[in-house]
Amino acid sequence: MESVARLLGAVAVGALVVAGPSLAQNKPQNKTPNGMTTNIPGAIPGVHAVAPVADGQWTMPAGDYGNLRYSPLDQINTSNVHNLHVVGVFSDGIPHGHEGGPLVVGSTLYMVTPFPDKLIALDLTKPGFPIKWTFNPNPNIESQGVACCDVVNRGASYADGKIIYATLDNHVVAVDANSGQLDWETQTGDIKYGETTTMAPIIVNNVVFVGDSGGELGVRGKVTALDLKTGKILWRAYSTGPDSDVRIGPDFHPFYAKDQGKDLGVKTWNPGQWKIGGGTVWGWISYDPELNEIYYGTGNPGVWNPDMRPGDNKWSITLFARDPQSGMAKWAYQIEPHDYYDHDEIMENILVDMPWQGKERKLLIHPGRTGFVFVMDRETGQLLSVKPFEPVTWSKGYDLKTGDDNVAPGMATHFGQYTKDICPSSTGGKEFVPSSFSPKTGYLYIPAHNTCMDYMGTAVNYIAGTPYLGASVRMYPGPGGYQGELIAWDVAKGQKVWSIQDKDFPVHSGVLSTGGDVVFYGTMEGWFRAVDDRTGKILWQFKTGSSIISDPITFTGPDGKQYVAVYSGVGGWMGAVALAGHSVDDPYADLGTAGAMRKLKGVVEPGGTLYVFSE
Amino acid sequence: MRSVNLLLLAGALVLATGCRSGQNATSVAAGRAPVTKNPVGPVPGPAANVTYSVDPLLHDPVALQDGRRLFNWYNCSGCHGGHGGGGMGPSLRDRVWLYGSRDDQIFSSIAQGRSKGMPAWGTKIPAQQIWELVAYIKSMRTPYEPDPPVEPTNEMVPNPQHDTVLGEGTQTSVSEAK
Repeated sequence: MESVARLLGAVAVGALVVAGPSLAQNKPQNKTPNGMTTNIPGAIPGVHAVAPVADGQWTMPAGDYGNLRYSPLDQINTSNVHNLHVVGVFSDGIPHGHEGGPLVVGSTLYMVTPFPDKLIALDLTKPGFPIKWTFNPNPNIESQGVACCDVVNRGASYADGKIIYATLDNHVVAVDANSGQLDWETQTGDIKYGETTTMAPIIVNNVVFVGDSGGELGVRGKVTALDLKTGKILWRAYSTGPDSDVRIGPDFHPFYAKDQGKDLGVKTWNPGQWKIGGGTVWGWISYDPELNEIYYGTGNPGVWNPDMRPGDNKWSITLFARDPQSGMAKWAYQIEPHDYYDHDEIMENILVDMPWQGKERKLLIHPGRTGFVFVMDRETGQLLSVKPFEPVTWSKGYDLKTGDDNVAPGMATHFGQYTKDICPSSTGGKEFVPSSFSPKTGYLYIPAHNTCMDYMGTAVNYIAGTPYLGASVRMYPGPGGYQGELIAWDVAKGQKVWSIQDKDFPVHSGVLSTGGDVVFYGTMEGWFRAVDDRTGKILWQFKTGSSIISDPITFTGPDGKQYVAVYSGVGGWMGAVALAGHSVDDPYADLGTAGAMRKLKGVVEPGGTLYVFSE
Repeated sequence: MRSVNLLLLAGALVLATGCRSGQNATSVAAGRAPVTKNPVGPVPGPAANVTYSVDPLLHDPVALQDGRRLFNWYNCSGCHGGHGGGGMGPSLRDRVWLYGSRDDQIFSSIAQGRSKGMPAWGTKIPAQQIWELVAYIKSMRTPYEPDPPVEPTNEMVPNPQHDTVLGEGTQTSVSEAK
């Protein structure tokens, strides 16, 4: 960390010397007038992060509140990245999907495992990074049977000396970062009603935010805010139901008419159906300290059979902006009213201030399952641009004036008959695995899928604690002879710059971009790669033990050297077919992914390992 | 060797203690009705001619259809896959049976539930329906399977809507770095 501070200092001094004192007076480094916006060394003029980016530690899921997943560290760069080698390996022995990524606070690396959700602290000051301690929350084993898509966990956050994360059986735990002792524990959901928790909480000003999972089991989606000191529940904001439950009040100003009205979370459903209507919050939450708003997306409405839930089904598949203290909604935009495809939109919302068509704008960038990159004004919730990044057949393209999703003729899904050639499939043009944005290139690095599907609504009964699915889905590779790609997407131009295609598998890992002009990501075959951020040239790669479906991070060790860390371990929804107990002769298995992913069986085996690299 | 002898001695003592408490060690099973007729674990003692409950509806075409229907109605398909290939719960189409593959064992798994989250359906539905589900599950991957899974027949054609032409920059192929 010291070296990072020194480095940042050097850059600041350099700027002063070159630009002279006038710049220093007019434009203090790293601060806007209200002291929050951060300038990043080497950034394109006018491109600002809204909050400090990861500065050598990695203390929250994305590294920063704006979800850039960008680190200015540049010891590892395009000229020496080919020297990267393994300096630490740690196996947790758990044969399930390793999603999310580790945290690094001070000289300790923290890893949250899939079920049984252990928190393992590794000592970065000692060779081989030995275990300091392990915290075991002992979650209820029955929770494994209500987890839709493998028994995963997407990580933790650090604040106030505590590591905070959620267990599969819906217990938020706060663990002392030094001693590994439990500080507090709060239950936020109930597996008896199909609720699980897999997302990584974030912490803003002494408030912990945690969502829920279970959109395939008839749960009611929500975000819970807890007090960082005590774990006491401060408020809940549901994704369905009356305005009071959704925390919609006089300050709520949705941009589009289609999202305006009273109690839409009740009126856009059959009577009472909102109580089991889904809209879970299992992805990423971002935060803008300047506007003082949190942003997140909600998941699919339940049940998957759209004919069983006439109406817009608000507020499923919706982006929300909320006040983090009160929880009250500022605006909302429903990306897909009356979902036909299980297109959850819980993906990352990347917050950047940058020039947009000649004007400095406060952007929210959301690439998601729909196959489109949404660029929005995060102050108002207005769509500025919606462009496809993978083949899209379900929509004719979004109407920026009305916010309408323009479902293509014949592409709606219904009860009792297959709608065919829907692209992207339920798993999307990209899944929850997060993109990265580099302020140096202005590119969004998207881990993309090219998977299509046939989808049919089926009859289903609601039985609490069992799946509430109501669809028969079979997925297959999309057109073009590839099934995934890492895309560099020029945000300002709204177009693809380069891509690295993967013929057989989706790109299903998080992405990390760095000040060293290197982008890191992994493949389902297990390759961990370093790529030139401007050209897409693969500069280095290493074959890990299993699939990479996790999010790489970078940090400065106690020795002042830069390290890169990533988990390897197949599983999750896309990787389920490679786990024990999954057959490939049923393309409808694994909620439809088995058909598209069967080639993965025999290519990788399950097993979770942390790898740490340095040059 | 000495330690082995000690172990044997200890075993004998335990048996002797059992006798003293008034129980005939050899009569555990003899002369009494067994507590369970559908054991899940291995049966202790020498091999015996035990008969287990057999699904009375096996191969009954109506029962197979009903079993397939119930498999969806009770949301079995939501967990175990549309045609039993697995998902939240394990595959029923493979050769792995965590709690045994006999008719009575599958019946037990459905009726009693299992610890990792399989609900205990015996508390909610009649035995007849459980036997229908057993019949359907046993029919998977056989010619008797009703409504077997079919592969999607349609091949994807390139989508003219999608601009596959890349901008400036390089499109790198995977083979380059290998």
